Amino acid sequence: MSADDFKDGLIAEIPNLRAFAASLSGSMQLADDLVQDTLLKAWGNAEKFQPGTSLRAWLFTILRNTYYSLYRKRGREVQDSDGTYADRLATHGNQESHLDLADFRKALAKLPEEQREVLIMVGATGLSYEETAEICGVAIGTIKSRVNRARSRLAELLSIGGVDDLGPDHRITAAVQRAGPEIVNG
Amino acid sequence: MHTMNSDLPERDEADAEFETVLDPKVQESIGRSLKAHYDDLINAPIPDKFLVLLAQLEATERRLPTEGESDERR
Repeated sequence: MSADDFKDGLIAEIPNLRAFAASLSGSMQLADDLVQDTLLKAWGNAEKFQPGTSLRAWLFTILRNTYYSLYRKRGREVQDSDGTYADRLATHGNQESHLDLADFRKALAKLPEEQREVLIMVGATGLSYEETAEICGVAIGTIKSRVNRARSRLAELLSIGGVDDLGPDHRITAAVQRAGPEIVNG
Repeated sequence: MHTMNSDLPERDEADAEFETVLDPKVQESIGRSLKAHYDDLINAPIPDKFLVLLAQLEATERRLPTEGESDERR
């Protein structure tokens, strides 16, 4: 891969890197610092990128590692001042989504990082479960349960009908039904 | 959704534990909001500083002698 191709590849990924960094850190300002660091590291380690593999996945790995090693603490401090990021783009042109974007962002920010990052990667970036698992260094099954937990938690935070709306927990109901005859007979 | 045959045991476990509790409509709604959130960020104007940074890195590299494209270390 030529330096030009590599550079073009990086440029093409900047919007995605920013969007992911903002989702992760909860701050546009941190996101921009994070993207800058990521671009610098990517450039310095260009020879380690294997052409033919996903540049996005490679860059996300760098960004994520940078975040967890250097930015996480700063992110928490910034988030204490709240609102700035969630309200930033409160006017949204596309009204197809029936959830208010600002409300959704506030709820998203309340998720544990490990849930938020995988929900974004799997649900919005176009990365596969496999790539996400590799980026996070965990098994695919772990990614799946984190995504499910994240969705359930969001539904709860946004009060859009989670567990409660479906009535008693199906598993418990089933377990009670299964146990029933034995209790009677035993 | 992805079908991942090599991952069946783990998925079954995850399904049994979590996927039964969330209404598909709720999932859909969350999915749409997630996309709206992300696309909105993607479409935000990109500060020039990133392009400037990459142009600088490229210019610096061109000024330096190319010390071999290969991975060879001596």
